[in-house]
Amino acid sequence: MFWRLVFQLLRGNRARLTVAILALVSGSAVISGLLNLDLGVEYQLTQQFRTLGPNIVIAASPIASAPGSGPADSALINEDAVLIPVQKIAGPDVSFAPFAFVIARTQDTQVVVVGTWLDQLRNLNPTWKLEGNWISSRDDQAECLVGRNAARQLHLTSGSRLHVQYLARNSDCTISGIVDSGATDDNQVFMNLRAVQTLAEVPGKINLVQLNVSATPKVIATFATRLSDTLPKFQVRPIRKVTEAEGSLLAHIRLLIVAMIFLILILTALCVLATMAALALERREDVGLMKALGGSISRIVGFFVAEVGVLGAFGGFIGAILGAALSYWMGLRVFGTAISPRWEVFPVTVLLMTIVAMAGALPLRMLAEVKPAIILRGE
Amino acid sequence: MCALDGVSFGIEEGEWIAIMGPSGSGKTTLINILGGLETPTSGKAIVDGVDVGRLDEGGLTRFRAEKIGFVFQQFHLVSYLTAIENVMLAQYFHSTTDEKEAQQALERVGLADRLEHLPSQMSGGEQQRVAVARALINHPKLILADEPTGNLDEANEKIVIDLLRELHAERRTILMVTHAPSIGSLADRRIDFSHGHVVPSIPALTPGRP
Repeated sequence: MFWRLVFQLLRGNRARLTVAILALVSGSAVISGLLNLDLGVEYQLTQQFRTLGPNIVIAASPIASAPGSGPADSALINEDAVLIPVQKIAGPDVSFAPFAFVIARTQDTQVVVVGTWLDQLRNLNPTWKLEGNWISSRDDQAECLVGRNAARQLHLTSGSRLHVQYLARNSDCTISGIVDSGATDDNQVFMNLRAVQTLAEVPGKINLVQLNVSATPKVIATFATRLSDTLPKFQVRPIRKVTEAEGSLLAHIRLLIVAMIFLILILTALCVLATMAALALERREDVGLMKALGGSISRIVGFFVAEVGVLGAFGGFIGAILGAALSYWMGLRVFGTAISPRWEVFPVTVLLMTIVAMAGALPLRMLAEVKPAIILRGE
Repeated sequence: MCALDGVSFGIEEGEWIAIMGPSGSGKTTLINILGGLETPTSGKAIVDGVDVGRLDEGGLTRFRAEKIGFVFQQFHLVSYLTAIENVMLAQYFHSTTDEKEAQQALERVGLADRLEHLPSQMSGGEQQRVAVARALINHPKLILADEPTGNLDEANEKIVIDLLRELHAERRTILMVTHAPSIGSLADRRIDFSHGHVVPSIPALTPGRP
């Protein structure tokens, strides 16, 4: 009988309850959307910040470059000593490449020549633009890339031959593409690591390793610590500008989302409260009658509490579905990629809406004060 | 202001009593006190051995559920519940619901074909018969009927009066408020009220027992 009566309560007052349902559905849709956004924003921001380039650098330890060692040698590290351990602990979300720098001459102009794994440049720097073709082979010594500024200064284009000279040694390559990084990289020439090591006569030596870890600032810091532990003789340094910016932005977005969720919960509760206050007045006669029939106030209010509970759960469920669609759309608009709905948002939204509906049903407390004799007299 | 003053009378089990008097004479207040809807400021109202005035809120709730069956002038059915659900509501507050028993109660008052109708889909007489079925469903010790025919046409009035006669024949105790002398005359006994006092006893005009 309990649920039968609750169902009839819902059916009998559907016109007025539609207002409460609309408030609950729209409130829960926005909350569900924001919760999905909150859970997805970390991943989305990580992806966005990953495009800013490497976020960890491994270089020679400052102790190694202490006075007494030669300046050229002090900055060099044995590539196997770093790359083998890094390769072991790097997961699929980590891109990395070794770098060796040499200042060489070309066309009587000094230029920074960077030796690296050319096939990894694109993964390390997803925002770089390239006019021409990326180099897909790590062993290809015949091709190279040139920064936009360097290419302009040296009048080079894709397909041109580049000749570089370091001391008495020379190296040649064909320019595969012109890099546009928007940073100092545009002044450099990118060649095969082995070719540069041969040019500088430092086989097996590099200056540093850059890593691009696709993860949250916290995970990046943890990974950097792990790298430090694995490579105690080297300096492992997160590029703080990127990771801190991501962390700060994430914290601000989260604060905004939480504030909005609270605001919407309060507004939804107020809307339900207004509806329930009106409904409580309308139901005074029913409550008076039920009391006269021997209904205790707890049993009578139990009907109404169950009614708003059902409303809250129903509104929360429908809203959660709409919210998933909303977050999908917001992800597309804000980040350019859809945010997949998270299953855990559904029960949280339904629970929140049920609680809000119950809180909004507080005016029903006044029904406890109903005097059946007065109500039944029509006063 | 005193709604009832110096009112004292007793009712035997199975009696049908008509309470009569002008408006404002205290008839409804009496019904409300006996039904546990109002509490007397002084004096005693004892129903089936229970001093109603000494019961707390919970005790009054149980008292109303177990001992009293109300029939109101305005019917007072829950508008969004069907006829059978209105009857079952009283069962629910009493103990547990029994749909078959509720159906039989409605069949008894001639509403077998109106079980799933809402009050708005029924005539006044039919609604009052639902109220009678609801009042009877928990086998109360005392049926309190406040102007049960006050809002009915002649045909429906007759149906409701016939129902009260049947209940009386089954030795149910009925206390009925009415303005109509013709209906009051059907009772075993008539108690007249005026300004909150019982007017000295007048014997029933005609024998109430069928």
